[in-house]
Amino acid sequence: MQKNNRFHQAVIYGLMAFLSIPLVATLVYSLAQKWGATILPQGMTFKWYLELWGDPRFLAAFGHSLVVCLSSLTLCTLLTVPAIFVVHYYFPKLDGLMNILILLPFAVPPVVSSVGLLQLYAGGPIPLTGTPWILIATYFTVALPFMYRGISNSMQGINLRDLMDAAHLLGASSAQAFLQVVLPNLRKGMMSSLFISFTFLLGEFVYANILVGTRYETLQVYLNNMRGTSGHFTSALVMSYFIVTLVLTWCATKFNK
Amino acid sequence: MTYVQATNLTKRFGPVTVFEDLDFTINKGEFITLLGPSGCGKSTLLRCLAGLTPLNGGRITVGKEAITSLVPQKRGIGMVFQSYALFPNMTARDNIAFGLKMQKLHADQVESRVTEVIHLVELDGHENKYPHELSGGQRQRVALARALVVQPHILLLDEPLSALDARIRRNLRTQIRTIQKELGLTTIFVTHDQEEALTLSDRIFLMDKGDIVQTGTAEELYTAPASTFVAGFIGNYNLLSAEQANALAGMEITGNLAVRPESIYVREIGRNYADHISSPVPAVVTSHMLLGNVIRYQVQAQGCELTVDLLNRSSERLFANGTQLEILFNHRELREIH
Repeated sequence: MQKNNRFHQAVIYGLMAFLSIPLVATLVYSLAQKWGATILPQGMTFKWYLELWGDPRFLAAFGHSLVVCLSSLTLCTLLTVPAIFVVHYYFPKLDGLMNILILLPFAVPPVVSSVGLLQLYAGGPIPLTGTPWILIATYFTVALPFMYRGISNSMQGINLRDLMDAAHLLGASSAQAFLQVVLPNLRKGMMSSLFISFTFLLGEFVYANILVGTRYETLQVYLNNMRGTSGHFTSALVMSYFIVTLVLTWCATKFNK
Repeated sequence: MTYVQATNLTKRFGPVTVFEDLDFTINKGEFITLLGPSGCGKSTLLRCLAGLTPLNGGRITVGKEAITSLVPQKRGIGMVFQSYALFPNMTARDNIAFGLKMQKLHADQVESRVTEVIHLVELDGHENKYPHELSGGQRQRVALARALVVQPHILLLDEPLSALDARIRRNLRTQIRTIQKELGLTTIFVTHDQEEALTLSDRIFLMDKGDIVQTGTAEELYTAPASTFVAGFIGNYNLLSAEQANALAGMEITGNLAVRPESIYVREIGRNYADHISSPVPAVVTSHMLLGNVIRYQVQAQGCELTVDLLNRSSERLFANGTQLEILFNHRELREIH
């Protein structure tokens, strides 16, 4: 038994070590002064991080990414939570149809739908290409499946009908029952869906590059545009992105308890 | 005095009629049980009374007020659900206080009424726990307190004890009955458990396929079933045809004969009994089952399989399978049904 446990532990730790190799290598590279013809880096420095965090273009790109992600997630939450509630409480038979509809954004590859969106919004009555608005709206559809599934699962787990009935019999209106009873019980599902969507959107490149490009540069587009500069610099950028995501995950987990 | 009057209640789900033209009256302070097998429409009837499911026709009055067209919030009805339906994000105290807060009562009033009802359902010490920290029995008591604290005109209980173990179920049903009597609260209790119905109710409405097939006190339903269905549902009756009744009990009847298991007397052949009973019929024990204070025998007599209940007085009086017996019927305890 003891031997078996040790074997399992060795497998887990081995796997963890293997998976962290690229991350550790990137971290070391981002801290290395120079790492070319030698096995170990020549000197350590925070220079690349200072340079990155002192670059107004990086800060602007980071800010743009946050604005676009948070705006689309806010929009998504405001529209999907009441919609999911209405589907589950008033029209439960529609849930099957909704489950198919929310998969549509996955059915069309991002490159294809980007071209379609470009054609629709490049000119015409609503010229949105190159503005953050088209990205916010597109990210809304990208986040929709994650949001719908996560919140829908939470809704199914709370015995919605009985809770609403109980609240109604105790004098609450449907709005009061939704806000005071249903919504607080969806918090966990909502937070995990939001977080998955947020990290996914923060790392999104195809839509951002094709629809907006440098006119409203996001983090991933910035990273792509900087690929020609020093590898240490881009490593610092990747590590910064990773650390921000890590901190946000920790915050979300902490908040969710 | 009639307090709740239901007239011509009709409910359909698409082409399926759950009940049609249902009429009943309930007196103030009465404890009524809707008893019936699963799917007979008792829970739907309860939800229609609460206003949670709309009726297709009919009229309900409580006191002198017609409530048929009122929303659930305005009906003055409290309800305890089978699933408890406690709000998971609130403590027991907050759950109980929810209805009072919706009525916008002053915080002091809310506090005193919540404390009072917590004491009534014996939940002191558990009021700050969340539903997931409470046992099944405690959760159901929170649900009961939450329904009682708003002082409803009628209390509806939808199989509130079915998810609990036997011991807690017995305790809680005694507590529910005590509180109901103390408050003089008109109560409608839904169950498919005949023991619960017999022990709790002032009157039982026995339902089958959307109809109330018999109403009466527990005693009336148990001793005088009106139909084969009632006899089969309420008391483990032996149902004998006219020929079987004649052969076994010597009764000339045209319908069926309902014989309760405890109304059959047995004696072992060859043993002397001081209390000799006449008209014996030879029988043989085919199987037996211990039900606590009662032993339930299956006996074969004149080609009939009968269920016989005997008090479990001692192991010496236990009849093994294959024991030759004589069974006897007391004509006063038998009932002809059609």
